[in-house]
Amino acid sequence: MTLILSSTSWMMRQVIYALALGIFVSYYFFGWGIVLQIVLGVITAVVVESAFLALRRRDIISSISDGSVILTAILLAISIPSIAPWWVIIVGISFAIIFGKQLYGGLGNNLFNPAMLGYVFLLISYPLQMSTWSINFLSFNQALEVVFNLSNIDAISGATKLDEIKNSLSLSSSIQQLEIHFPSQAWINAGFFFGGVYLLFRKIISWHIPVSFLVGIVITSVLLWISNVDLYIPMQNHIMLGGTMLGAFFIATDPVSASTTLKGRIIYGFLIGVIIVIIRTFGGYPDGIAFAVLLMNMTVPLIDIYTQPKVFGK
Amino acid sequence: MGNYSFNGGIVIKNPYLLNKVEIIQASLPKKIILPLQKFDGKAEPCVSVGDYVLVGQVVASTESGFDVSSHSSISGVVLSIDTQDIAHKSGFKFQCITIKSDGEDKWIDNKGCNVDFLHYSKEVLVGIIQKSGIVGMGGAGFPTHVKISKVLDCHTLIINGTECEPGVMCDDALMQFYPKEIILGIEILLYICGADRAIIAIEDDKQAAYQALLTVNHNDRININQIPTKYTSGAEKLLIKALLDIEIISGRFAINEGIICQNISTTKAVFDAVINHKPLISRIVTVTGNGVSPNNFEVRLGASFKHLISMSTPNTKEHNYRMGGMMMGIDVVDINMPIGKTTSAIFVNNKMPKPIIQECIRCGQCSEVCPIGLLPQQLYWYVKSKSFEKALKYNLPDCIECACCDYVCPSHIPLVSYFSFAKMFSKQQTIEQDKVNIARERFKYREHRLKRNNLERAQVMLDKKKFLKEKMVKEQFQKQKIIDAMKRVKQVKDNF
Repeated sequence: MTLILSSTSWMMRQVIYALALGIFVSYYFFGWGIVLQIVLGVITAVVVESAFLALRRRDIISSISDGSVILTAILLAISIPSIAPWWVIIVGISFAIIFGKQLYGGLGNNLFNPAMLGYVFLLISYPLQMSTWSINFLSFNQALEVVFNLSNIDAISGATKLDEIKNSLSLSSSIQQLEIHFPSQAWINAGFFFGGVYLLFRKIISWHIPVSFLVGIVITSVLLWISNVDLYIPMQNHIMLGGTMLGAFFIATDPVSASTTLKGRIIYGFLIGVIIVIIRTFGGYPDGIAFAVLLMNMTVPLIDIYTQPKVFGK
Repeated sequence: MGNYSFNGGIVIKNPYLLNKVEIIQASLPKKIILPLQKFDGKAEPCVSVGDYVLVGQVVASTESGFDVSSHSSISGVVLSIDTQDIAHKSGFKFQCITIKSDGEDKWIDNKGCNVDFLHYSKEVLVGIIQKSGIVGMGGAGFPTHVKISKVLDCHTLIINGTECEPGVMCDDALMQFYPKEIILGIEILLYICGADRAIIAIEDDKQAAYQALLTVNHNDRININQIPTKYTSGAEKLLIKALLDIEIISGRFAINEGIICQNISTTKAVFDAVINHKPLISRIVTVTGNGVSPNNFEVRLGASFKHLISMSTPNTKEHNYRMGGMMMGIDVVDINMPIGKTTSAIFVNNKMPKPIIQECIRCGQCSEVCPIGLLPQQLYWYVKSKSFEKALKYNLPDCIECACCDYVCPSHIPLVSYFSFAKMFSKQQTIEQDKVNIARERFKYREHRLKRNNLERAQVMLDKKKFLKEKMVKEQFQKQKIIDAMKRVKQVKDNF
């Protein structure tokens, strides 16, 4: 095999670069909200991480510069609605870093994917804010005012439109939500897909998790769809909507909380795909990636034990 | 013969290529230090301080059939016999003989050439090899005569000319300049161990060496086999897998399967010993790195690292030194230490800041390159948390410490250091556990013995009591008899 001599911080930087395309597409459709969320998230993350490193008497500079905390912040910031109020991302990222990472002992020791832990925490605690998605491009000023509640939201983005979002996006109407955002979400997914291909190409992630993840989604959704064509979402919608590509290439591939053996990674990715379709179809939440990833994180120690490679001479 | 392969390993290009491979004869060292450390036990010096010794003279010998002798590599006076630091993985001090050169290079009498080695019996040849101080010159230093005389039903002799350590070029040079000697050396080894065939394994980036051997080899029992250039191909078990597709079971050795592996330098040493009656007093050493102009030197054993480095036009920067290879070698601080039989290379590199060690993110690159199929990331986790039992379950003892994982780790974790520490620690634990077990057995036996003694004593007492009782009863009975008799006598008397 050919090798890239790399460092952990270099790898983290590459993942952040690979996210850029998807973020740009998201910006193209929904405007400055996502940028604000990322800025807020990264600042909070660095502050919280530094504070905890100081409490734990660790070297702050070297830990921050490994880039992992910035990556976590970006992943969470792009997972939540871009028009969520400012405190949502601050609460979420603080929870992710304190309970998802630092309390386990920092980078490399956490059982759960911190970004997804923060996401699920927000989803359960603030369901309204977490399911109010933008449908229009927001200028910088508009986004600023929406996110910081500076003025009456109605005056800026129009009462009818916001009402429309709120009305159409109740928790139970998951299919409806997916349908509404079809073109823009498909393009965003494409953006993350190509970012993921870049990571594969640079050998920062291996193919095992993303491929088995997508195969899991395809097989499960096709089986469901065959069983009742009218009732279930077709396979291509599962692939192109929601956070599928972000999950396949950027979230499930977090090496710390994923299985570490090759066989294990295939099982891990595949089952995440299966669980996602099950949650999307039968669950109460619009998307199931975070839950699926967290559930599978729990099984990683077990998967790792039973998928050890064959040792030479044994 | 098909070419098989093994999993893992890494391709590393030689970072310091030579325009022209040559062997430079190093000048005579002014002083040599000969460490007497041996594989098993210790060789005893047979000279004393102040003695005059000649080149090739035995200065230390051993009675054990396992070890080999040491020879002086220069003529001169024995300066001291004491313990000194030498470049060895253990970091221990070893007893050493220091000899000061007289600059004459006077040899002991050696009895000329004898190409017709077939007149000798195998035992005589094994004796010559042992007395010539020949050990495996690849790195481990295992005595050659032991390997070739202990093997049963040997079918294949593998000559390791892979030289997979990137940057080391001494075997490459040896093969290019002494191909005839190597082939004859292999024929001697074939004769002794009785193998059907010999395979010379060469990595396919050493074309000149391959061609050189090919042109002089007319023996159809000797095959020259090129294998793909990949680091760790020179590891014994992996080489056997790559050549013969035989996977030697963990815990067993090549010798158990009728296979002998010898380093290619060793075959030249065997040739010198048997044909020229010349003991092992010199070897070819690569001096390389970005701090010197790389070259191969033939140098007398016991010369200091400094002696060779000064001949390789070092630059004026501060240097880091490493012995043996950039992957499996060891760092050397003091370059006054001597060159030994297994010193294949000296790396002189400009001092660089050490990379910062970061946390393991379980990226799994280490397990992808592990030729043994271990999971270094899991082993690291267990060793770090001192769960050695878990690490053993994850096959820690099978680690060959090839350092592929160190090389690819993006967090720059010195994984092999953790593993060798854990291995040593668990070995120590096993030894201590054994001691505890023995002590417990002894204690149990003592308890058992005491109990048995008590029982025996009680039995004896019981018997004695019984005996006394019986005796008493008997006595009483006899007394009664006497009394009765007396009574009867009295009655008779009274009747009268």
